[in-house]
Amino acid sequence: MFLMRFTERAYTTYTEEAVRNSPNEAVRLTFSNSNFDPKVGARQYNEYLDEYEYCEEAGFDGLMLNEHHNTPTCLGATMNLEAAILARSTKKPKIVLMGNPLPTFENPLRVAEEIAEIDMISNGRVVSGFVRGTGVESLAANINPLHNRERFEEAHDLIIKTWTTPGPFRWEGKHYHFRVVNPFQMPLQKPHPPVWIPGLGSPQTLVWAAERGYPYIYLETDPQGTQDMIDIYTEAARESGYEPGPENFGYLCRIHVQDTDEKAYESAKGFLTGNVGVGRVPMPKDYMLPVGYGGSKADPRVAKYQGRIRKDPFLGLGLETASYDQILDSNRWIVGSPETVIRKLRETLSVIRPGILGVWTNDGDTTHADTMRCLELMGQEVLPAIREIGAELELTDPFQKMAQTV
Amino acid sequence: MVAFTEEIVDVGGTKVHTLKGGSGEPLLLLHGAGGNNGWLKSIDALAEKYTVYYPSHPGYGKSDRPDWLETIPDMACFYNWYLETLGLEGIRTIGFSMGGWIASEIAAMCNHSFSKMMLVGAVGIKPNEGEIADLFIISPAQVLDLMFHDPAQAPEYQAVYGREFTPEEMMTAEGNREMAVRLCWKPYMHDPRLSSLLQRVNMPTRMVWGRNDQIVPVECGELYKKAIRGSDLVVIDNCGHSPQVEKPDEFIKTALDFLA
Repeated sequence: MFLMRFTERAYTTYTEEAVRNSPNEAVRLTFSNSNFDPKVGARQYNEYLDEYEYCEEAGFDGLMLNEHHNTPTCLGATMNLEAAILARSTKKPKIVLMGNPLPTFENPLRVAEEIAEIDMISNGRVVSGFVRGTGVESLAANINPLHNRERFEEAHDLIIKTWTTPGPFRWEGKHYHFRVVNPFQMPLQKPHPPVWIPGLGSPQTLVWAAERGYPYIYLETDPQGTQDMIDIYTEAARESGYEPGPENFGYLCRIHVQDTDEKAYESAKGFLTGNVGVGRVPMPKDYMLPVGYGGSKADPRVAKYQGRIRKDPFLGLGLETASYDQILDSNRWIVGSPETVIRKLRETLSVIRPGILGVWTNDGDTTHADTMRCLELMGQEVLPAIREIGAELELTDPFQKMAQTV
Repeated sequence: MVAFTEEIVDVGGTKVHTLKGGSGEPLLLLHGAGGNNGWLKSIDALAEKYTVYYPSHPGYGKSDRPDWLETIPDMACFYNWYLETLGLEGIRTIGFSMGGWIASEIAAMCNHSFSKMMLVGAVGIKPNEGEIADLFIISPAQVLDLMFHDPAQAPEYQAVYGREFTPEEMMTAEGNREMAVRLCWKPYMHDPRLSSLLQRVNMPTRMVWGRNDQIVPVECGELYKKAIRGSDLVVIDNCGHSPQVEKPDEFIKTALDFLA
């Protein structure tokens, strides 16, 4: 079982009223950055890095980072920068990039170089995730959403070739064109850092990841729907000639622990107020799913999977609007004392059977002090218990699997 | 009401769904980014005097969507081919909004395609002062709000926009939006080379704008006027982005005056 810690690193000093008065009442994309105070940002970046550094001591196997743009919900705009800092300031945990949003970059070679540098500086600890980027990222970077998947696949192919083929070579693709590909920054891990694909379970991406043997990390998707996504991945893996196991699957879940259930219930409320928008103001559909981002419904590759994935009961209602208690009762977020959290997690792990668990410990206005206590309790009580459960349920992670097969 | 037929024009293997009706010399109508709204009152009035050709652009409605066609200049090449296929040359044209951009790219590319050109609320030139509204980050309902100055004065508003849409119509509308995104994403709704190329245009040209156009500022009409020698600009008061729907009588009058 591979345990990695995650937080969105939310900026929190703004009001719900400000969001409601912004264009389209959206907390992302068009919410004015005049609501941002770099002095607060300076404090928060350092607190968030302190937390990640402490995760090494707490015993996490991985430090999971992500990025978003034009939004206070995630201070990470270039995760490779934070990764580079952690590459120097930690010694053991993997640095898990979940992931670089490939379609939004005009120069994927720069991404290849950055990740290679981080891999060398960290002595081979990078896990290089790649994502298409939430629909709104296409708007922030002004990349035609119709090109999103094509650019994702082409940038991926170019980066992998760059890491595995001696240069110089030439690249004349559809979206990317380079006369001379020949960076001297090459990853330490061979043939290249592990690639994991985080996402919300779009069938085309599941199939694409399965065909390449890349573990797929389900980002807090509905457990029932996740079963259907695992089925789609498994079918594609079998067609590619292998049987996937827990090492092919990861699951990200909000898990917050404090000394008592009552204390955890209060401090985990930060999940409600910082990450999915202050006061849970829903995001406009036209921001999150711009025209063309989801692929054409007429495309047989899209049509084939219509109706295959059970609907998330919180979708539509949205995690944004579902009540806190409903979310907790459904176990979508796991909040409580160590004992409560371990008991509830066993259930989730038994159903989804991931080899990789993303532990989203805190967000929003959960205080730094509460977060540090949460991480401490994770290290003392929760992580050892999850490892035991993982061993009992045979939830092998990709590194254990690799060690077994070598 | 003038009878019209639905025809399929095969342009090098791409089938273009075309409404055709009326009598007299040919008149090509080029619709905007939202798609072909069908045989409205203003089109019917034009068909009293002209043989109207009103195609759905490739990628729109029931027309085919060739993979290679990705830009408005591609579209202009395509329409030169379409006219050649129909044996039409030196004809009159009216382009609405994005269709106005297509018309002006055709005119800039080929001086004998058109004899007269009318551009209605046309995109294609970047305004210096204002901005062309970003239709790709707002909902179709918000777009509709911006389109009209006062929907109550548009006689066909309810028939075109106010009714319940069938699932097929919804699919078509989404496909049309997708095609608009393909054609107009970046640079958004304009072509930086267009003003320079328009200096070549030597046919009578008229721009028609609603004074209260919230999608394409009237300033764009002025820039077209500046770019095209001898052209004029007619601004219709109390009118939004679609004079042909919002003020059909005034639109028909200015169109027929100019085309005669």
